[in-house]
Amino acid sequence: MGYILNQLLNGICQGSIYALMAIGYSVIVGVVGMVTFAYGEVMMIGAFSAYYIFIYVGNNLPLAILAAFAGSFIIGIVIYKLCYERFFTAPRHISLLCTIGISMLLKNLAQIVFGPETKPVLNVVSNKTFNINVFGSTLNIRLLQIVIIVLVIVLAAALTLFFNRTKYGIMLRAVSQNKDASYLMGINVKRTALLGNCIGCGFGGIAGILLGIYYFSVSATMGSAYSMKAFAASVLGGLVDIRFSALGGLCIGIIENLGIVFTAATFRDIFAFAFLILVLIFRPQGFVSKKGARV
Amino acid sequence: MQKIKDFYNKYKVIILLVLFVIMAVIPFLGIETLYIRYMCNIMMYATLAGSLNAINGYSGQMCLGQAGFFAIGAYTGAALSKNFGVSFWLLLLVGGLLAMLIGFLVSLPTLRLSGIYLSITTLGASEIIRIIAQTWTPVTGGTMGIKQIPYPEFFGLDMFRPQYYYYIFLFLLVLFLFVTNRVLKSRVGRAWMSIREDQIAAKSLGVETSFYKSTNFMYGAFWAGVIGVAYAPFVNFIDSTQFTTDVGFNVLAMVVLGGQGTLVGPILGAAVVTILTEALRFLESWRYVIYALLLIAMMWGRPQGLVGASKSMLAGGKIKVKEDKAKAKAEGGSAK
Repeated sequence: MGYILNQLLNGICQGSIYALMAIGYSVIVGVVGMVTFAYGEVMMIGAFSAYYIFIYVGNNLPLAILAAFAGSFIIGIVIYKLCYERFFTAPRHISLLCTIGISMLLKNLAQIVFGPETKPVLNVVSNKTFNINVFGSTLNIRLLQIVIIVLVIVLAAALTLFFNRTKYGIMLRAVSQNKDASYLMGINVKRTALLGNCIGCGFGGIAGILLGIYYFSVSATMGSAYSMKAFAASVLGGLVDIRFSALGGLCIGIIENLGIVFTAATFRDIFAFAFLILVLIFRPQGFVSKKGARV
Repeated sequence: MQKIKDFYNKYKVIILLVLFVIMAVIPFLGIETLYIRYMCNIMMYATLAGSLNAINGYSGQMCLGQAGFFAIGAYTGAALSKNFGVSFWLLLLVGGLLAMLIGFLVSLPTLRLSGIYLSITTLGASEIIRIIAQTWTPVTGGTMGIKQIPYPEFFGLDMFRPQYYYYIFLFLLVLFLFVTNRVLKSRVGRAWMSIREDQIAAKSLGVETSFYKSTNFMYGAFWAGVIGVAYAPFVNFIDSTQFTTDVGFNVLAMVVLGGQGTLVGPILGAAVVTILTEALRFLESWRYVIYALLLIAMMWGRPQGLVGASKSMLAGGKIKVKEDKAKAKAEGGSAK
């Protein structure tokens, strides 16, 4: 029982990181209108930006998160210029292949620039553990987990505020709903799409360093496995809906960690996709109640 | 371009025959074994890319999970021939049929899906297959993989040299091209293409879209499985790292580079990609960077692929009907 509870907690913690990835992914897909396969590499860049802050400045978590956001934001501009700007009206597979190319480019470039080895990220948050007695079994909550969950909630709340209360947020929402109409309303669609892509990438970068802190390591090839999960979580949420994507990420995290309780740890990566396919069989539109914009 | 086409149509049989003879005598010309291996690689990837093209290019479904079907064929071939000594030629069929069955299962949830939902489902299926291959140790050898896969036998002749594989792959490629050409010109192929052009219109004209989409998937999966069976003894060692999603993406890159929706395209794409990755070997770790840059440059310059028709629906923004141009202006105009 205690094991299951602890796994549930791990699941919630990991799920919240997945939720952050999925939020970023949904922002990109919603605003730009095209999917990306370079998201994992964007996360990796974010993680490395923060890693170098840890190395050269010290264990300054807020600064590292800012750096992760900034690093991925800049990569977001590059990706937008190379993969999306010219291909808004072209068939989807062209920009898709461009993002695959970018992903390959960044992955291999990172191996050259940062080195191919896995780099440790230690002692960013102290290793304190709280033991709580729940129904007669002990629940071990690490400080790290609390920090991550709180951070994700704060970031999600900030993004919600940004989308609902600021002019740029409203512009982004307008563009994600209807590009033609927002163009007629005097919105600079291309620049707004660029902004949306960059914000989504920035969130991916933050998720990247959170993963690095959670697993105590960053590496140039860390991206691909998580980009699939971000993709899956986002699809679960209906691709463009931020709240449901976050829910999808949380679900995948919990299911993965509970799944390995009943099977072997090597099956971890199956659960995300099996769950996704199961959901898609019964609800092709994901969790969203109404049929949203099909991308 | 038109001249080449006319010339080809006029002397079609002769050209194909000459090409076939040239391909058939190449191993006798005393070319180094290494280059024969490259040729084998090219023909193998050409068939694999062709099988993906049958799905992506002809019915317009965006399948990203070809590596999974490929893996099924490879593991079926390797496991059965190693443990039970089943003949290679029978396995070609068995592996293909098994991949076809999995293709059918994958196609079931995808019938209701389209676009990117379909892509992620096929991608997920491919990952699931790979992870099962990685963990199901008694059959697939787990992370250790399967070593020393028996060579195919041809009337008592052990086929272990690349020259023999050359003929196996050539045979498979020619068979694939011939069958696919026939299928595409039949009612089934026309149904696939009608789904690609406009699914609703196809449905209204009485094309059973679910049935044809499913058969399309099964057809593509079948050939991926067949080529997987041939791949296993060729490399003599398989493990799950050879069937990652990156392999699927690579095959997709071959299809799109060569030209979707054409028979020649995937062959050309496979040749270009294989030669490029081998020729750039001296750049060591930079070669994939260069390859990625070339891929992006290709998408910018010639999105329809090397041989793709520029008027095709899959071609992209270059040549479009007038309404689309106006729309593009409406969307893009504000940035200027």
